[in-house]
Amino acid sequence: MTDGQGTDEGMDAREAAGIMQDARKHAEHELQFSHPVMLAGWGVIYILAYGWLWLSVRGQRPYQGPTGGAAGGVTILVLVGLTITAAIVARASAGVGGLSSLQRRIYWLSLAVGFAGIYTLEAAIDHAGASRAVIAVIAASGPVFVAGVVYVAGTAVFRNWAVCGLGCWLVATAAGSAFAGPVAIWAVNGLAGGLGFLTAAAVSARRGRA
Amino acid sequence: MTEEELDSVIHAPARLRIVVTLATLGEGDDLSFTRLQDVIGLTPGNLITHLRKLEEAGYVTTVKSGSGVTARTGVSLTREGRAALDRYTMVLRQLLDSASPD
Repeated sequence: MTDGQGTDEGMDAREAAGIMQDARKHAEHELQFSHPVMLAGWGVIYILAYGWLWLSVRGQRPYQGPTGGAAGGVTILVLVGLTITAAIVARASAGVGGLSSLQRRIYWLSLAVGFAGIYTLEAAIDHAGASRAVIAVIAASGPVFVAGVVYVAGTAVFRNWAVCGLGCWLVATAAGSAFAGPVAIWAVNGLAGGLGFLTAAAVSARRGRA
Repeated sequence: MTEEELDSVIHAPARLRIVVTLATLGEGDDLSFTRLQDVIGLTPGNLITHLRKLEEAGYVTTVKSGSGVTARTGVSLTREGRAALDRYTMVLRQLLDSASPD
Protein backbone atom coordinates (compact mmCIF):
# COMPACT_ATOMS: atom_id res chain seq x y z
CA MET A 1 0.00 0.00 0.00
CA THR A 2 1.00 3.57 -0.41
CA ASP A 3 2.03 5.65 2.52
CA GLY A 4 0.01 8.66 1.37
CA GLN A 5 2.55 10.94 3.04
CA GLY A 6 3.91 12.50 -0.05
CA THR A 7 6.48 10.00 -1.25
CA ASP A 8 6.78 9.25 -4.91
CA GLU A 9 6.74 5.49 -4.41
CA GLY A 10 5.10 3.61 -7.26
CA MET A 11 1.64 2.20 -7.06
CA ASP A 12 -0.34 -0.14 -9.23
CA ALA A 13 -3.59 0.71 -11.00
CA ARG A 14 -5.76 -0.82 -8.28
CA GLU A 15 -4.05 1.21 -5.55
CA ALA A 16 -4.39 4.36 -7.65
CA ALA A 17 -8.12 3.72 -8.11
CA GLY A 18 -8.50 3.22 -4.36
CA ILE A 19 -6.64 6.44 -3.58
CA MET A 20 -8.78 8.35 -6.07
CA GLN A 21 -11.98 7.04 -4.53
CA ASP A 22 -10.83 7.77 -0.96
CA ALA A 23 -9.55 11.23 -1.86
CA ARG A 24 -12.79 12.15 -3.64
CA LYS A 25 -14.96 10.94 -0.76
CA HIS A 26 -12.80 12.70 1.81
CA ALA A 27 -12.72 15.95 -0.17
CA GLU A 28 -16.49 15.91 -0.69
CA HIS A 29 -17.00 15.28 3.03
CA GLU A 30 -14.67 18.15 3.92
CA LEU A 31 -15.53 20.70 1.24
CA GLN A 32 -19.23 20.15 0.56
CA PHE A 33 -22.31 20.01 2.74
CA SER A 34 -25.26 17.68 2.43
CA HIS A 35 -28.16 19.36 0.62
CA PRO A 36 -30.61 16.60 1.64
CA VAL A 37 -29.82 16.99 5.35
CA MET A 38 -30.07 20.77 5.10
CA LEU A 39 -33.39 20.63 3.23
CA ALA A 40 -34.85 18.07 5.64
CA GLY A 41 -33.74 20.17 8.63
CA TRP A 42 -35.44 23.26 7.22
CA GLY A 43 -38.54 21.20 6.38
CA VAL A 44 -38.86 20.26 10.06
CA ILE A 45 -38.21 23.86 11.21
CA TYR A 46 -40.77 25.09 8.69
CA ILE A 47 -43.51 22.73 9.89
CA LEU A 48 -42.78 23.48 13.56
CA ALA A 49 -42.68 27.26 13.02
CA TYR A 50 -45.85 27.54 10.95
CA GLY A 51 -47.58 24.92 13.11
CA TRP A 52 -46.77 26.94 16.23
CA LEU A 53 -48.08 30.15 14.64
CA TRP A 54 -51.22 28.41 13.43
CA LEU A 55 -51.90 27.00 16.93
CA SER A 56 -51.61 30.53 18.32
CA VAL A 57 -54.22 31.98 15.90
CA ARG A 58 -56.57 28.98 15.78
CA GLY A 59 -60.00 29.87 17.16
CA GLN A 60 -59.41 33.65 17.21
CA ARG A 61 -62.68 35.54 16.63
CA PRO A 62 -61.98 38.12 15.32
CA TYR A 63 -58.57 37.31 13.94
CA GLN A 64 -55.81 39.12 15.88
CA GLY A 65 -52.64 37.52 14.52
CA PRO A 66 -49.98 35.30 16.17
CA THR A 67 -49.41 35.82 19.88
CA GLY A 68 -46.20 37.46 21.08
CA GLY A 69 -45.06 34.17 22.65
CA ALA A 70 -45.50 32.24 19.39
CA ALA A 71 -43.80 34.94 17.32
CA GLY A 72 -40.88 35.08 19.78
CA GLY A 73 -40.55 31.29 19.91
CA VAL A 74 -40.58 31.01 16.12
CA THR A 75 -37.98 33.78 15.83
CA ILE A 76 -35.68 31.85 18.19
CA LEU A 77 -36.33 28.60 16.27
CA VAL A 78 -35.45 30.25 12.94
CA LEU A 79 -32.35 31.92 14.42
CA VAL A 80 -31.14 28.54 15.74
CA GLY A 81 -31.72 27.05 12.28
CA LEU A 82 -29.84 29.91 10.61
CA THR A 83 -26.94 29.59 13.05
CA ILE A 84 -26.60 25.84 12.43
CA THR A 85 -26.88 26.38 8.65
CA ALA A 86 -24.23 29.12 8.73
CA ALA A 87 -21.90 26.90 10.78
CA ILE A 88 -22.28 23.96 8.37
CA VAL A 89 -21.74 26.14 5.29
CA ALA A 90 -18.79 27.95 6.90
CA ARG A 91 -17.10 24.65 7.78
CA ALA A 92 -17.50 23.32 4.23
CA SER A 93 -16.44 26.55 2.53
CA ALA A 94 -13.49 27.40 4.79
CA GLY A 95 -10.49 28.12 2.59
CA VAL A 96 -12.52 27.94 -0.63
CA GLY A 97 -12.19 31.09 -2.69
CA GLY A 98 -13.17 32.22 -6.15
CA LEU A 99 -16.42 32.21 -8.04
CA SER A 100 -18.55 30.02 -5.75
CA SER A 101 -17.63 32.13 -2.73
CA LEU A 102 -18.95 35.23 -4.49
CA GLN A 103 -22.06 33.39 -5.71
CA ARG A 104 -22.80 32.14 -2.18
CA ARG A 105 -22.52 35.66 -0.73
CA ILE A 106 -24.89 37.08 -3.37
CA TYR A 107 -27.33 34.21 -2.74
CA TRP A 108 -27.44 34.95 1.01
CA LEU A 109 -27.68 38.67 0.31
CA SER A 110 -30.70 38.12 -1.95
CA LEU A 111 -32.45 36.14 0.82
CA ALA A 112 -31.64 38.79 3.44
CA VAL A 113 -32.77 41.66 1.18
CA GLY A 114 -35.94 39.76 0.24
CA PHE A 115 -36.91 39.07 3.86
CA ALA A 116 -36.06 42.62 4.96
CA GLY A 117 -38.22 43.94 2.11
CA ILE A 118 -41.21 41.73 2.88
CA TYR A 119 -41.21 42.59 6.60
CA THR A 120 -40.91 46.30 5.77
CA LEU A 121 -43.85 45.90 3.40
CA GLU A 122 -45.82 44.21 6.18
CA ALA A 123 -45.09 47.13 8.52
CA ALA A 124 -46.07 49.57 5.78
CA ILE A 125 -49.49 48.05 5.12
CA ASP A 126 -50.08 47.87 8.87
CA HIS A 127 -49.17 51.57 9.05
CA ALA A 128 -51.56 52.28 6.15
CA GLY A 129 -54.43 50.84 8.21
CA ALA A 130 -54.85 47.40 6.63
CA SER A 131 -56.88 44.86 8.58
CA ARG A 132 -55.24 42.03 10.55
CA ALA A 133 -56.56 39.59 7.95
CA VAL A 134 -54.79 41.42 5.11
CA ILE A 135 -51.58 41.68 7.11
CA ALA A 136 -51.76 37.90 7.71
CA VAL A 137 -51.51 37.30 3.95
CA ILE A 138 -48.20 39.16 3.77
CA ALA A 139 -46.91 37.84 7.10
CA ALA A 140 -47.61 34.18 6.30
CA SER A 141 -47.08 34.02 2.53
CA GLY A 142 -44.51 36.76 2.00
CA PRO A 143 -41.46 34.94 3.40
CA VAL A 144 -42.46 31.75 1.58
CA PHE A 145 -42.78 33.66 -1.67
CA VAL A 146 -39.34 35.29 -1.22
CA ALA A 147 -37.68 31.96 -0.37
CA GLY A 148 -39.33 30.34 -3.40
CA VAL A 149 -38.16 32.98 -5.86
CA VAL A 150 -34.60 32.93 -4.45
CA TYR A 151 -34.48 29.11 -4.68
CA VAL A 152 -35.56 29.17 -8.33
CA ALA A 153 -33.00 31.88 -9.15
CA GLY A 154 -30.34 30.06 -7.08
CA THR A 155 -30.61 27.05 -9.38
CA ALA A 156 -28.57 29.05 -11.87
CA VAL A 157 -25.72 28.89 -9.33
CA PHE A 158 -26.12 25.59 -7.51
CA ARG A 159 -27.68 23.55 -10.35
CA ASN A 160 -29.79 21.54 -7.93
CA TRP A 161 -33.05 20.80 -9.73
CA ALA A 162 -34.71 19.53 -6.55
CA VAL A 163 -34.23 23.03 -5.09
CA CYS A 164 -35.59 24.58 -8.30
CA GLY A 165 -38.71 22.40 -7.98
CA LEU A 166 -38.99 23.36 -4.31
CA GLY A 167 -38.78 27.05 -5.25
CA CYS A 168 -41.62 26.72 -7.77
CA TRP A 169 -43.66 24.78 -5.20
CA LEU A 170 -43.10 27.44 -2.51
CA VAL A 171 -44.20 30.24 -4.84
CA ALA A 172 -47.36 28.25 -5.70
CA THR A 173 -47.93 27.53 -1.99
CA ALA A 174 -47.50 31.18 -1.01
CA ALA A 175 -49.89 32.37 -3.72
CA GLY A 176 -52.45 29.58 -3.29
CA SER A 177 -52.57 29.73 0.50
CA ALA A 178 -53.41 33.45 0.34
CA PHE A 179 -56.98 32.39 -0.53
CA ALA A 180 -57.30 30.20 2.57
CA GLY A 181 -58.18 32.95 5.02
CA PRO A 182 -56.12 34.50 7.86
CA VAL A 183 -56.15 31.44 10.13
CA ALA A 184 -55.84 28.58 7.63
CA ILE A 185 -53.09 30.38 5.69
CA TRP A 186 -50.60 29.46 8.45
CA ALA A 187 -51.58 25.78 8.37
CA VAL A 188 -51.57 25.54 4.57
CA ASN A 189 -48.16 27.23 4.27
CA GLY A 190 -46.75 25.06 7.05
CA LEU A 191 -47.99 21.75 5.68
CA ALA A 192 -47.50 22.36 1.94
CA GLY A 193 -44.20 24.20 2.36
CA GLY A 194 -42.78 21.78 4.94
CA LEU A 195 -43.70 18.75 2.84
CA GLY A 196 -42.13 20.51 -0.15
CA PHE A 197 -38.83 20.78 1.73
CA LEU A 198 -38.96 17.12 2.81
CA THR A 199 -39.79 15.98 -0.73
CA ALA A 200 -36.91 18.05 -2.13
CA ALA A 201 -34.60 16.47 0.47
CA ALA A 202 -35.68 12.96 -0.59
CA VAL A 203 -35.27 13.76 -4.32
CA SER A 204 -31.88 15.36 -3.71
CA ALA A 205 -30.71 12.35 -1.68
CA ARG A 206 -31.87 9.93 -4.38
CA ARG A 207 -30.06 11.92 -7.09
CA GLY A 208 -26.93 12.03 -4.94
CA ARG A 209 -26.89 8.24 -4.71
CA ALA A 210 -27.58 7.72 -8.43
CA MET B 1 -1.91 -1.16 -22.13
CA THR B 2 0.60 -0.71 -19.30
CA GLU B 3 0.98 1.48 -16.22
CA GLU B 4 3.71 3.43 -18.03
CA GLU B 5 0.92 5.08 -20.01
CA LEU B 6 -0.41 6.72 -16.86
CA ASP B 7 0.61 10.38 -16.52
CA SER B 8 3.68 10.23 -14.26
CA VAL B 9 3.04 13.72 -12.88
CA ILE B 10 -0.31 12.61 -11.44
CA HIS B 11 0.63 8.97 -10.79
CA ALA B 12 2.05 9.47 -7.29
CA PRO B 13 -0.11 9.01 -4.17
CA ALA B 14 0.21 12.54 -2.78
CA ARG B 15 -0.16 14.30 -6.14
CA LEU B 16 -3.13 12.12 -7.05
CA ARG B 17 -4.81 13.16 -3.79
CA ILE B 18 -4.06 16.83 -4.47
CA VAL B 19 -5.44 16.75 -8.01
CA VAL B 20 -8.57 14.78 -7.05
CA THR B 21 -9.22 17.12 -4.10
CA LEU B 22 -8.88 20.24 -6.25
CA ALA B 23 -11.12 18.66 -8.91
CA THR B 24 -14.03 18.53 -6.43
CA LEU B 25 -14.08 22.35 -6.44
CA GLY B 26 -16.17 24.19 -9.00
CA GLU B 27 -14.47 25.73 -12.02
CA GLY B 28 -13.15 29.18 -11.07
CA ASP B 29 -12.68 28.19 -7.43
CA ASP B 30 -9.46 27.77 -5.47
CA LEU B 31 -8.49 26.31 -2.10
CA SER B 32 -6.17 27.97 0.38
CA PHE B 33 -2.82 26.28 0.90
CA THR B 34 -3.54 25.73 4.62
CA ARG B 35 -6.95 24.14 4.00
CA LEU B 36 -5.49 21.93 1.25
CA GLN B 37 -2.77 20.86 3.66
CA ASP B 38 -5.43 20.14 6.29
CA VAL B 39 -7.59 18.07 3.87
CA ILE B 40 -4.69 16.11 2.34
CA GLY B 41 -2.74 15.69 5.59
CA LEU B 42 0.72 16.55 4.24
CA THR B 43 3.46 18.61 5.87
CA PRO B 44 3.90 22.10 4.32
CA GLY B 45 7.27 21.09 2.85
CA ASN B 46 5.87 17.98 1.17
CA LEU B 47 2.88 19.87 -0.16
CA ILE B 48 5.09 22.62 -1.62
CA THR B 49 7.28 20.00 -3.35
CA HIS B 50 4.30 18.27 -4.96
CA LEU B 51 2.58 21.52 -5.90
CA ARG B 52 5.77 22.66 -7.61
CA LYS B 53 5.79 19.51 -9.78
CA LEU B 54 2.14 19.97 -10.66
CA GLU B 55 2.68 23.65 -11.38
CA GLU B 56 5.66 22.90 -13.66
CA ALA B 57 3.41 20.57 -15.65
CA GLY B 58 0.79 23.34 -15.89
CA TYR B 59 -1.78 21.35 -13.90
CA VAL B 60 -2.21 23.73 -10.97
CA THR B 61 -1.74 27.42 -10.33
CA THR B 62 -0.98 29.14 -7.05
CA VAL B 63 -1.94 32.75 -6.46
CA LYS B 64 -0.71 34.74 -3.47
CA SER B 65 -2.88 37.57 -2.15
CA GLY B 66 -2.96 39.87 0.88
CA SER B 67 -0.14 40.36 3.32
CA GLY B 68 0.58 39.77 7.00
CA VAL B 69 -2.31 38.04 8.80
CA THR B 70 -4.51 38.27 5.69
CA ALA B 71 -1.90 36.58 3.46
CA ARG B 72 -3.42 33.74 1.47
CA THR B 73 -2.12 31.35 -1.14
CA GLY B 74 -4.90 29.98 -3.32
CA VAL B 75 -4.33 26.72 -5.18
CA SER B 76 -6.50 25.74 -8.14
CA LEU B 77 -6.59 23.14 -10.85
CA THR B 78 -6.06 24.53 -14.35
CA ARG B 79 -8.09 23.46 -17.37
CA GLU B 80 -5.06 21.38 -18.45
CA GLY B 81 -4.98 19.79 -15.00
CA ARG B 82 -8.65 18.86 -15.20
CA ALA B 83 -8.14 17.41 -18.68
CA ALA B 84 -5.05 15.49 -17.47
CA LEU B 85 -7.06 13.99 -14.61
CA ASP B 86 -9.81 12.96 -17.04
CA ARG B 87 -7.22 11.26 -19.28
CA TYR B 88 -5.58 9.62 -16.25
CA THR B 89 -8.96 8.30 -15.07
CA MET B 90 -9.73 6.93 -18.54
CA VAL B 91 -6.38 5.11 -18.84
CA LEU B 92 -6.76 3.77 -15.29
CA ARG B 93 -10.23 2.43 -16.08
CA GLN B 94 -8.91 0.70 -19.22
CA LEU B 95 -6.05 -0.82 -17.22
CA LEU B 96 -8.44 -2.13 -14.57
CA ASP B 97 -10.84 -3.46 -17.22
CA SER B 98 -8.06 -5.25 -19.07
CA ALA B 99 -6.77 -6.75 -15.78
CA SER B 100 -10.15 -8.04 -14.63
CA PRO B 101 -11.02 -11.66 -15.59
CA ASP B 102 -13.65 -12.03 -18.37
